[in-house]
Amino acid sequence: MADYVSNPDESKEYWGRYKYIYVLVVTTFLVFSLRLWYLQIISGSELRDFSEKNRIKQVKIPAPRGLLLDRHGKSLVQNLPGFEAILTPQYIVNLDEMAVRLAPILGMEPDKIVTRVQRSRRVNGPFATIRLKENLTREEVFRLKRINLDTPGLEIRETIIRHYPLKQNGAQLFGYVSEISKKQLPLLNELYKGVLKFEQGDIIGKSGLEENLEREVRGQDGVSFIQVDAHGRETSLRNPNIIGDKITDQDASHGNNAVLTIDRDIQEAAHKSFTDLKRIGAVVAMKSNGEILAWLSEPSFDPNEFATAISSQTWSTLINDPFKPLRNKVIQDHHSPGSTFKPLVALAALEEKKITDTQMVYAPGVFYFGRRPYHDHQRGGQGYVNVYDAIERSSNVFFYQMGIKLGIEKMHDYISILGVGQKTGIELAREVPGIMPNSAWKKQNRGEEWQEGENLSTAIGQGFVNTTLMQMVIAYNTIGLSGKVVRPYVIQKILDQEGKVLKENFPQVLRDVTQVQPNGVKISDRTFAVVREGMRRVANGDRGTARFWKIPGVEMAGKTGTSQVMNFSADQIYSNCMSKPIHMRHHGWYVAFAPAINPEITVGVLAEHSCHGNTGAAPIVRDVIQAYFQKYHPEVIEEGLKAMKTKKAKAPVPEPVPLLDGE
Amino acid sequence: MDLSISLEEKTLVRRLDWNIILVILALNVIGLINLYSATHGPNSKEVESLFINQIVWLISGWSIFFISTLLDYAIVSRICYIIYFFNLLAILYVDFFGKIALGAQRWIDFGFFRYQPSETMKLALIMLMAKVLSQRNSMGQGMGIRELIAPLILVLIPFALIMKQPDLGTAMMIIAISGSMILFTKVKKHIIVGAIVLISISLPIAWEYILHDYQKNRVLTFLSPENDPRKTGYNALQSRYAVGSGQFFGKGFRKGTQSQLEFLPERHTDFIYSVLSEEHGFVGSITTIGLFCILFFLVLRIAYQARDKFGALIAVGVLSYIFWHMFVNVGMVIGLLPIVGVPLPLLSYGGSSMLTTMLGLGLISSVSFRRYLF
Repeated sequence: MADYVSNPDESKEYWGRYKYIYVLVVTTFLVFSLRLWYLQIISGSELRDFSEKNRIKQVKIPAPRGLLLDRHGKSLVQNLPGFEAILTPQYIVNLDEMAVRLAPILGMEPDKIVTRVQRSRRVNGPFATIRLKENLTREEVFRLKRINLDTPGLEIRETIIRHYPLKQNGAQLFGYVSEISKKQLPLLNELYKGVLKFEQGDIIGKSGLEENLEREVRGQDGVSFIQVDAHGRETSLRNPNIIGDKITDQDASHGNNAVLTIDRDIQEAAHKSFTDLKRIGAVVAMKSNGEILAWLSEPSFDPNEFATAISSQTWSTLINDPFKPLRNKVIQDHHSPGSTFKPLVALAALEEKKITDTQMVYAPGVFYFGRRPYHDHQRGGQGYVNVYDAIERSSNVFFYQMGIKLGIEKMHDYISILGVGQKTGIELAREVPGIMPNSAWKKQNRGEEWQEGENLSTAIGQGFVNTTLMQMVIAYNTIGLSGKVVRPYVIQKILDQEGKVLKENFPQVLRDVTQVQPNGVKISDRTFAVVREGMRRVANGDRGTARFWKIPGVEMAGKTGTSQVMNFSADQIYSNCMSKPIHMRHHGWYVAFAPAINPEITVGVLAEHSCHGNTGAAPIVRDVIQAYFQKYHPEVIEEGLKAMKTKKAKAPVPEPVPLLDGE
Repeated sequence: MDLSISLEEKTLVRRLDWNIILVILALNVIGLINLYSATHGPNSKEVESLFINQIVWLISGWSIFFISTLLDYAIVSRICYIIYFFNLLAILYVDFFGKIALGAQRWIDFGFFRYQPSETMKLALIMLMAKVLSQRNSMGQGMGIRELIAPLILVLIPFALIMKQPDLGTAMMIIAISGSMILFTKVKKHIIVGAIVLISISLPIAWEYILHDYQKNRVLTFLSPENDPRKTGYNALQSRYAVGSGQFFGKGFRKGTQSQLEFLPERHTDFIYSVLSEEHGFVGSITTIGLFCILFFLVLRIAYQARDKFGALIAVGVLSYIFWHMFVNVGMVIGLLPIVGVPLPLLSYGGSSMLTTMLGLGLISSVSFRRYLF
């Protein structure tokens, strides 16, 4: 200390200057205090809200959709628990690195993950979540959970997966669900204004009953409030370190269940029969009161694939398939009914007294109208036939003559009241009405006068007339019930979660055509009885076109038909249909009800490109009706079997052969 | 002999400025409590060990404090050129071989300790400026250009080297600290006017040619953080939410969601005050800057009572060191100043800052310790 020469007074020089420092320090303290006052006291609650918004994330709890059950409570569409991997682009730290880690676990290409995230970030913004993969396996969930903490932006979420136990069977009827598209969002919110509210990422019904029942089965989504850190990772609110009055979650409320009129057993029997024969086309089975028992369309698709993000490859296969797997062919396609139309023409002819049930008509192999030849399906013709024979053997020439005698207006009036050319009124969307032409229709749609010759083609179900399978089933059912036109329906009841019935549909007779209809025509009981007998012979008579497909103990009544896919010259009509390329082959129809007297069930099959109504469609109709009787009236079948045993000794059962039924 | 020793011990204890020690201890305790919270979030295992490190730095800091208290600060006036020279070498080394972090070269890595020479340069400069300035302005008329040349050169060399790293925050600190000391020593009025003119001309030029884009962004963001809340404005905005959401009493120890859930960036270093404000509210925030004010008043009293100009200037220098750090750091955290990477002395995590601060305070204590010796 001694070697430092200090001058005790020299520091006094500075004494006057300390006040500046005091002023600076005090001013700073005051300014900072004021600023803190402003931030913490004046803006405090507002900024507290901002900080809360930072950490509280609203997560939607999707409501489980209601189940679809069959008439006996068996499940047709159900829900399964599952997991999905979700990405939030905003929280991703290193996209490339993350993609490389995730790709092998999820079995995806790292590049594809990167592109998806980048595209979503660009299109939907950084906070919109991306469903990377749905329906994760246990193994995937386990492996993802291990890397979850080191992978900001990744989330493994519990979900409900819509499950369709019947898979392809009836897929067009039940429909499918998938994520709402950007285009649909505003449209649906407009459509369901005040009832349902849709948001991006919602799963909605896209077709069939899933779409139709959206309002009923959707339920109410819940909200869960979770705490996240700055990297989007969920941080438990139970962590004692963190404050937070946990905001009460709002539970999701389950959608209502729908009980359908479908009978799962019959649905499955129909599908087995149809697919065993490798048919394409459609099947519908309806109880005589209008309850749909089975409904399918083939080829089909697996709606389970849609529920778990369908691949674009599968999708393009589906929409480019020439046989239209997405189309509900029961109501969304119409075709020439071919010979299945003949019983309807017969009703008109009998009712208009153009023929009586005993009157014989000469039906040669070729019928000339003007100069033009109209062919029967059999070169030699049928000879003299009455109306029963004409229906049983499907005589073209007989019906040509009926067509001429009736004229298009009469045919139109009688056949319209059976429902042909109108929507049947079933609950499903996109039903086509079909066409039942008359001269006014032709003028309006084709701009031409009706030609006399067109009466002939109309009378055998070709030409302009087009019907859906559902319409033919309704028309035949009307014949079976002697005039009662029913409304088909597939939704029986809507039940809430407690099982309370919210809505119920009952059988409905739209009109009884034995009474005079607004267009001035009616069809009498007697007329129906004659035509029914003709149809009974189709299935049971010695020359009936569908006689090879019988059910022990139950008599069916029906009519086969062939819908020409293309117009062929006479040579081609007689040539072997099966030798043509499949897309050029005719469609086969068979519609039948059973029992032939007081029927309980009507079944229609459209077997596209199967060439014949009998071999193509009739066995399936038989199988479906048999399944119905086996389930609901097994005693009838048993008795029939007993009776057959005694008969069998006398005559061997003939082998079925494809017939050129005039169709 | 016995008597003299006991007397000496008695005086030793008595001569210590216990007020300043208690205030520093209070700030240390606040700092540790707060640092514990900042490093023990639910997802921040990787920073938990920093709390123990800080305790080690604190113990080392207090050792340095007492050693420098007992040493006569006059020694400093003899070795300050050497300290300055070696510190310059260290900065030069960093400029060319240092660790790159956040786009700048700032550290020499010793394994257990990352030495940041620009941090110690602040103190080296305080010592050197105290020595140089104490010999100037003997007439009391204020320094003229000739007297200013030497101190200015001594400041500008480290300034330029630190700007090169680039570390704008530290460079500005060096200017602020030495500027304060020069102004305190008194400068002729026309030179001050001239300097102001010169600075207002050179600022736009510096903006255009010297500042890096990230530095410009920080200033622009400060002016309007809402413009880009997710990128450059993020820090400023999150800090404002943290401070404001603390309200009057705060959210409570380890209950600040902004810090615990990592919405606050750099929460154990530059934004430590946000953590404090969020968890302890207006009460805690005011208490802390109040303690700093008391510390400044105590240092001012020591400067006032210093036995010589050198001692007074050391006290004023260290005061301006702590003051400007607090000013810039808290100003930034509460949204009054742009985001600049400057630690808050005694509260922010960091060895260099802690040791430098404690050494500075130790020198002040030494000045205080020796005030009775003349």
